[in-house]
Amino acid sequence: MRSWGVVWSTVGNMDLSVGLTTSSSIEMVKWLAHNVDDLGLRGVWTGEDIGRPQEIFTVTCLILLETKRVNVGIGVASPFIRNITTVARAAVALNEISPGRFRLGLGVGGLQDLASMGVQVEKPVESMRKIVETLKGIWKDRKTVTSKELRLKNYKTSFAPADIPIFMGVRGPRLLSLAAEIAGGIILSGPKEYVKESIKLVRERRVTAGLTETDFSFVLWVPTIMLSGDRDLELAKRVVAIVASDTPDKVLTTADVSLDEVNKIRSILRRGGAKEAARNVSEELIDKFCISGDAERISEVFRSYSSLRIDEVVFGPPYGRNPRDAIQQVAKAWGRT
Amino acid sequence: MQLGLNLNVNDTVPETMAKSREAERLGLDYIWISDLPSQRYAPVVAAAAASATERIRIGFGLISPFLHSPLQVASSLTTLIEAYGERFELCIGPGDRDQLRRVGVDLDRTEGIPTHLLKAKGKIQRSLKDRGLECKIWLGAQGPKLLEIASSFDGVLLNYSSPRMIEWTLKVIHKAKGKMAERVGIFAPSYVYKNFRPEIHRILQYASATVALGASKSVLEQFSFSEMLEPAMKRFASGTHESSVLKLIPSIVIEEFSILKCQHDLPAYLDELRRLRVDHVVFAYPQGYSMETIRELANALVS
Repeated sequence: MRSWGVVWSTVGNMDLSVGLTTSSSIEMVKWLAHNVDDLGLRGVWTGEDIGRPQEIFTVTCLILLETKRVNVGIGVASPFIRNITTVARAAVALNEISPGRFRLGLGVGGLQDLASMGVQVEKPVESMRKIVETLKGIWKDRKTVTSKELRLKNYKTSFAPADIPIFMGVRGPRLLSLAAEIAGGIILSGPKEYVKESIKLVRERRVTAGLTETDFSFVLWVPTIMLSGDRDLELAKRVVAIVASDTPDKVLTTADVSLDEVNKIRSILRRGGAKEAARNVSEELIDKFCISGDAERISEVFRSYSSLRIDEVVFGPPYGRNPRDAIQQVAKAWGRT
Repeated sequence: MQLGLNLNVNDTVPETMAKSREAERLGLDYIWISDLPSQRYAPVVAAAAASATERIRIGFGLISPFLHSPLQVASSLTTLIEAYGERFELCIGPGDRDQLRRVGVDLDRTEGIPTHLLKAKGKIQRSLKDRGLECKIWLGAQGPKLLEIASSFDGVLLNYSSPRMIEWTLKVIHKAKGKMAERVGIFAPSYVYKNFRPEIHRILQYASATVALGASKSVLEQFSFSEMLEPAMKRFASGTHESSVLKLIPSIVIEEFSILKCQHDLPAYLDELRRLRVDHVVFAYPQGYSMETIRELANALVS
């Protein structure tokens, strides 16, 4: 899905973007927002780490305000921890700052994070469908919206209609099928085998539904880290310990990852924390869950995803020991390819 | 006395940014970004307003902790303060009953509203303090139950304008805790004009009528408005069109909830408020309707 004819480095049919989360410091957000237009990247995605200090919509706003060219997306926020109208109102305000550059990514959210906020999602597929349809209804015109499930009654807004692309960051066949049907794109994460299977499923679903392939984007966001020493490797292992532990068993099986190995890491993670768990992360597991190496290797691995028809790859976090340097180096390496 | 302008009613974000810039240029002390469920999300608009200005203080609210969790409010403030400095203040309160009902929040069935607000204030302040940040928190209040907790906040913002109602409020606050709120402000629909425009007056009437119809029952009874407003309330509850509801509201009620002054009359009104110890006045919609209405206000304040 490419509607912009401006300067960013496309490799094959694929673009490079950079990712942040609400755990990132405001200094990092400001630095990136100030520089990203000149790095030749397609965009910035911000992910919501539930319970972290920064607020997803406000952080996204800072980036939109500071940039002129790049796409700016939320990838992803959970609609289950806030009133649906908050998502609708925030997205409209963000879209107004720079029409055409904002993209809204939605996901269920980590089950443990949701539980810590007292939120239980019983029917994620039905709920996500209702949420996306309702958002589109709210944005479509100024008619009143009523939804028993979302507790809206004669809800009416004061803003003009908006057309905001919705991406979904989801896992599992039913949610992937839903995304294929109702979203403008999907943000995928996980081992390459799993990503490949997910893309196949989404494309088949779209064909079945009579939807065109060109109106849909595949975004890959996997933890990436530029290695320049043992400390970076340690950081990569910690990240992989956490990510692998959070990955559903079905995904692990699809990717041919040893359940015994991950279960052991999960157990140590619960007892002793990420540092302890990291000691049990093998190099093979790092390769499954994290893209790492020097800037050239990271670019090469990203490039290898073009065969899967990924449209956009996202670099970071955790980036490496020096995030600013890592982002600049990877952006340069990407531009050289 | 500090003076502010309320924004974020019907404007797009770029329009609010331009108006914020103008408010700062004209020497106003504050802009207040409101957050009704029908409007653009206030933290995003506040960030945009902050990026367009340098010094003006930015009030954020009224924010309802019944719609946004205290942690969400605290994280928005954290991002705003860390990005743009400590020029933000927050006003929390129950919120607009009718609008909240439309998004699944029924205040009529909510017990312990004052306690909930006090807890929300505590959580927000603790969360900010953990990051080494500070932010003044106002209470948006009307009725006696909420006014009783006003002295626990950094200030109280009242959404009516008449001196006799403000005087009563101050007595209620003092009687409850034996002390006054640290700061007292009003946040009322306003139209301060040089060239009177009937269409803006009409918007003022709507805005004021909406506040009156959503006012606390005890306030309406205290000032004998209940009976006067009964026909309008019945019509309003049945979802009848606004214009026919407006016709049923006596003009005296509308006047008590709004500021309608020609430029020359504003100083005397502000003096009256000063006498009552009001030290913060927010000129709410439709004063921010256009650049012209904002400039007319600023000219009145200079004179």
